[in-house]
Amino acid sequence: MQSIRLTLRPSLLAALLATTFCMPAMASKPVSWDDILNDDKTTGDVLSYGLGLKAQRYSPLSKVNTRNVDALVPAWSFSFGGEKQRGQEAQALVHDGVIYVTASYSRIFAIDARSGKRLWEYEARLPDDIRPCCDVVNRGAAIYGDKLYFGTLDAAIVALNKDTGKVVWRKKFGDHKVGYTMTGAPFIIKDQQSGRVLLVHGSSGDEFGVVGWLFARDPDTGEEVWARPMVEGHVGRLNGKESTPTGDKDAPSWPRDKDGNLVDAWNHGGGAPWQTASFDSEKNTIVIGAGNPAPWNTWHRTKEGDDPRNWDSLFTSGQAYVDASTGELKGFFQHTPNDAWDFSGNNSIVLFEYKDAQTGKQVKASAHADRNGFFFVTDRDKLSSGAGYPNKPTALIGAWPFVEGITWASGFDLKTGRPIEKNNRPQLPQDGAEKGDSIFVSPPFLGGTNWMPMSYSQQTGLFYIPANHWAMDYWTEKLTYKAGSAYLGQGFRIKRLFDDHVGTLRAIDPKTGKIVWQHKEKFPLWAGTMTTAGGLLFTGTSDGFVKAFDAKNGKELWKFQTGSGVVSVPITWEMDGEQYIGIQSGYGGAVPLWGGDMADLTKQVTQGGSMWVFKLARSARK
Amino acid sequence: MSVPARLAMSLLVALGASGTLPASAFAAAADPLASARWEEMRRGVLGGTAAVFDAQVKVLAPANAENPTQVPVTVDATALADVAEVVVFADFNPIVEVLRFYPESAAALLGFRVKLQQSTPLRAAARGADGVWHVGGSWVNTVGGGCTAPSAAAASTAWQSRLNEVSGRQWQLGAERVRLRLRVVHPMDTGLVAGTPSFHLDDVELRGASGERLMRLRLFEPVAENPVFTIEYRAPGQTLVCTGGDNNGNRFSARIAP
Repeated sequence: MQSIRLTLRPSLLAALLATTFCMPAMASKPVSWDDILNDDKTTGDVLSYGLGLKAQRYSPLSKVNTRNVDALVPAWSFSFGGEKQRGQEAQALVHDGVIYVTASYSRIFAIDARSGKRLWEYEARLPDDIRPCCDVVNRGAAIYGDKLYFGTLDAAIVALNKDTGKVVWRKKFGDHKVGYTMTGAPFIIKDQQSGRVLLVHGSSGDEFGVVGWLFARDPDTGEEVWARPMVEGHVGRLNGKESTPTGDKDAPSWPRDKDGNLVDAWNHGGGAPWQTASFDSEKNTIVIGAGNPAPWNTWHRTKEGDDPRNWDSLFTSGQAYVDASTGELKGFFQHTPNDAWDFSGNNSIVLFEYKDAQTGKQVKASAHADRNGFFFVTDRDKLSSGAGYPNKPTALIGAWPFVEGITWASGFDLKTGRPIEKNNRPQLPQDGAEKGDSIFVSPPFLGGTNWMPMSYSQQTGLFYIPANHWAMDYWTEKLTYKAGSAYLGQGFRIKRLFDDHVGTLRAIDPKTGKIVWQHKEKFPLWAGTMTTAGGLLFTGTSDGFVKAFDAKNGKELWKFQTGSGVVSVPITWEMDGEQYIGIQSGYGGAVPLWGGDMADLTKQVTQGGSMWVFKLARSARK
Repeated sequence: MSVPARLAMSLLVALGASGTLPASAFAAAADPLASARWEEMRRGVLGGTAAVFDAQVKVLAPANAENPTQVPVTVDATALADVAEVVVFADFNPIVEVLRFYPESAAALLGFRVKLQQSTPLRAAARGADGVWHVGGSWVNTVGGGCTAPSAAAASTAWQSRLNEVSGRQWQLGAERVRLRLRVVHPMDTGLVAGTPSFHLDDVELRGASGERLMRLRLFEPVAENPVFTIEYRAPGQTLVCTGGDNNGNRFSARIAP
């Protein structure tokens, strides 16, 4: 390269130097509520977990489509580095040319979206005694104004300046020593009544016997506005004062002992809303899944000598509808009453609308694929109306199996909204025995699907579930509560259901429950899905591929090997006239830790930790 | 003109001077510590602005430090008038800047401990009313590794329960002066130990009973674990309020009785 001689006047040089020294870090535009409200429609950014408040994970972009997707090539890759290469489960955000992505061990990176250059990183200093049950993952950040928000494994939420990565505030919301932690992405909503923007996040820790809480905070200061416990009868907070009990103050869904006191399990009842909410702004309602009851052992939550089906363990293992202004629980639909199998209810709840075939009316509904193997469509209007007792089983519109071989229930009674159980609860140990007899359960606690969010295509009207076929041997164990120790009362061993596959990517019709197509994967599926107006479905596989499918028929159209397992959530955005697809690689999560027989597969996957971004090769661009 | 604008102007003028005159009078003065990195320090830490070596700025530190993770230092710039800011740095540390302090109504004096990676000049530059950095320093010989050895906290969980715990005591020196000693429990991790991110106190300030600020400090990774500070001020008999926080957003506030 030829050198160019520049003759600068001294004063100009001085000014240039001064600029270099005195300029603050390059500031990108602040994020407004309208930006977030329209996130599902705007293609230049990704500002919310779920690619929009309804969590549909559908992008109107179609520059990359079924005809040209085979020409996708990497634009860049960025390593999260360090020696902490564990599961990378996040969904990244994109704003004004910057990608914000969280990584294992409570780290967050700002990366230039065009070049892949690191802008800043923040890594929380974690204490040694954190207690994440299922790997040291983080599922993403929220963005609003000039700040980013994410949760750390020591049960805190941190706000950082989005341009510098400097901490603005940090709020600890629970004691990490007894099991509180945070892995889910926080979410920004706007209380339609007060006009106030709120940061909403939950807690994790059901496996350690802590009560799950949902929090709303002032995004500027981190001060709590309201907090809602998910176990019936526990009392919430509003503006720093006690508010109302959740459901009935006497907690009739939990048993009492001989002295008339609520059983000990009630004190540790679980129900953690550890995944990310969606938001119905018309109804001013936060929709979020509630976790499993604690302990897993059904008999600790059943009146002695009685049938577990009479003791629902509300408000756990279901979908919760929470008033944005007050934190009141307005509605609840329980996917697994008195959940004995750690099915939880956390998986994403996607808000969508469809036309009823009989009445021709538009139905505002929620869709959810549960770990218990059933795909639920519920009446969102009924659940967010706020009338009467929150538990509303009759809000059920439909429940269909989305995997094969479900052992615990044959289906749901649409009149009562309750499951038709198949006598598959693990029984108490016989007299003198330490453990109960082992039973065969499918899906196992790892679920017909799990945290990895499904997506909905506005083009096909189908939902796309990253599902798995597997099972477990399952038996009851004796249990007493000890702070900071696992609080399960169950033993388990995960095993195969089919020889040729574990993963099964499934497209389901929410009007009929029909499985429209399926695609088998040898390894368990543990990555989220995303659909686009280009007729595509994107996801990742545990053996390291990012894949694109034809959303109509499930034909695999493109794949790329990233070098480690993919257990994250894809995004897409448009920049400088081109469409980009982003996803993280880095194997981990619950499967390699708890997967039992899956070890034969998972031990083949090497560790990693990087962000990959793809776009069309130049020759394929129109 | 506002104060920041004036500061920017003076910076600009100084930059102009150094930009056009690479062999400026300031740069030309021989470094009394004969450090190979002095010119980089002047350009980097001092922003290339006017700097003079000045024996009135004292850096009292052991010539031979046995423990590179806890090297005691006292910086005394009280001989200068109207010191607005003092920056302490170590030429050969992987993270050069140790701390900055802004003596407001307190004396321009600070005692603390520093982590050193290898033998190095340890310097303090005080910016006085003339806007010029007055630079003093001394060589400290030490064994290596003060910044890349794991903190003692890494081997124990005690810091987790005692993080940001403050202890302090005041002594009256004669009729008017008070010496304050302050200790904050903090690992002060440098981020240079594999697997442990940078985790350090960021800002600390001390206020008197009337709310008047005595001193503000900005701390960086090389300040030793569980930092101890010695500060002197006038007007005895006050309960002081010490507030601060670290780069993770953990805040503290403590009162220190007279």
